[in-house]
Amino acid sequence: MFSGLAAGAWLGGAEAPIKMASPDVSPLTVSLIMVCGVFLARWSVPALIRGTSSVGSDVRQAPHLIIWAVLAGCMWSVANTMTIYAIRTVGLSIAFPLWNTNSLLGIFWGFILFNELHYAGWKRWAGVLGGALAMFAGATLLAIASTNQVASAQASRGVIAALTAGILWGTMYIPYRKAYLSGMNPLSFVTFFTIGEFVTMAALAVTYRGPVSLWRELLSARAVVFWLMLGGFVWVIGDLFQQYAAKYVGISRGIPLSNTNQLWGLLWGIFVFHELHGGGHRVYAEVIGGSILMSLGALGIALSSAGEQEHASWQDAAVRESERYGIEADYVRTGMQGVEFDGKTSRRTLLDWVLIAGTSSIFIALAVIAKVPSMDISLAWTAGIATAMLALLVSCGLALWRTTRFR
Amino acid sequence: MPQEKDEPVATADLLRTIASDIHFWIPFLVLLAGLMLLRELH
Repeated sequence: MFSGLAAGAWLGGAEAPIKMASPDVSPLTVSLIMVCGVFLARWSVPALIRGTSSVGSDVRQAPHLIIWAVLAGCMWSVANTMTIYAIRTVGLSIAFPLWNTNSLLGIFWGFILFNELHYAGWKRWAGVLGGALAMFAGATLLAIASTNQVASAQASRGVIAALTAGILWGTMYIPYRKAYLSGMNPLSFVTFFTIGEFVTMAALAVTYRGPVSLWRELLSARAVVFWLMLGGFVWVIGDLFQQYAAKYVGISRGIPLSNTNQLWGLLWGIFVFHELHGGGHRVYAEVIGGSILMSLGALGIALSSAGEQEHASWQDAAVRESERYGIEADYVRTGMQGVEFDGKTSRRTLLDWVLIAGTSSIFIALAVIAKVPSMDISLAWTAGIATAMLALLVSCGLALWRTTRFR
Repeated sequence: MPQEKDEPVATADLLRTIASDIHFWIPFLVLLAGLMLLRELH
């Protein structure tokens, strides 16, 4: 549950730097730069936390999960590009809650495919369904607000892009859950996830933009490359927390909880970037009311935690996976319980330190040439929100370390 | 003590098992639909 909350804050903050890129830069190029940041972070953060040697051990036990992770990465790239179209058309504060409908799909897939919410009892069902309805009502309010903000043809493109991102991300949780039912460590999963993500995004950018114009665009955007890659880095921190939440409380609860990111998106949008400025009381009421409704929905879902019978039902799904793919029962059991499979604690190697040093150097070099674009940004609010994010990172990270040792 | 697997799972068998798994096809088809819509938006 703590992981879900921290995920919300960091996933919410990750989209903010997109606002700093010039509208002349194509969404595909912006997404590619973000994915480069994600790529670097996904290889260096796991190296820092546990070392990369544990990844090899996970792959030996469950090689099929490489394909699931790559597939999930491909979906992430397409969804992320959609969100950039949506942010540019209807704004961060409206687009965010729309793509957060992904949690409804997460609940649906969790129930249909992975025995989640089976034997859950009427109270838990009421919490989940009531929450889902509140989220739907909130999304409707926000969609109405978006039509007041921009021309309707543009608004509908933005709304479609945001909802499609929600469908892609909601379905992406199938590979996530598949991996965690098989006992895989989230840090190993993200390592392969990033390959699918990077290859898809690079292929999309080169195909649609052409190599020469893509290169020119990258050069012209060099002053904001740091901010966009930082957005990717921040996203990885949020996603790691989300992965741990999906592993330990399931997708039907972990994902709605991490979708509190929309509140963080709202804070960034309204207070830092002054979105909705001059929009009138009605627009403010619709956006804030819609976001609060969606958050209450997410809270209702999150509080309907799984009981013993439901956990037994998850175990059945895990047994089905281990039989289908021939995974050792002990590996699955220890993975789900968050304990070490072979009793060995993984150590960091020279390769891990090289990865960490290399990534840090690239970020420092980009920071040196970075410029803050001339736009109306509230620095006081930026500092305040960033401090709150760091506080959540430290407190939730410590809680996760104490209970699972990041397994 | 847990044992390492004696033989690596044959790649062809693994791909066949994945191809027969509905859990693979749902995300794959959603991904294709997403790519088609992205083309329209672009």
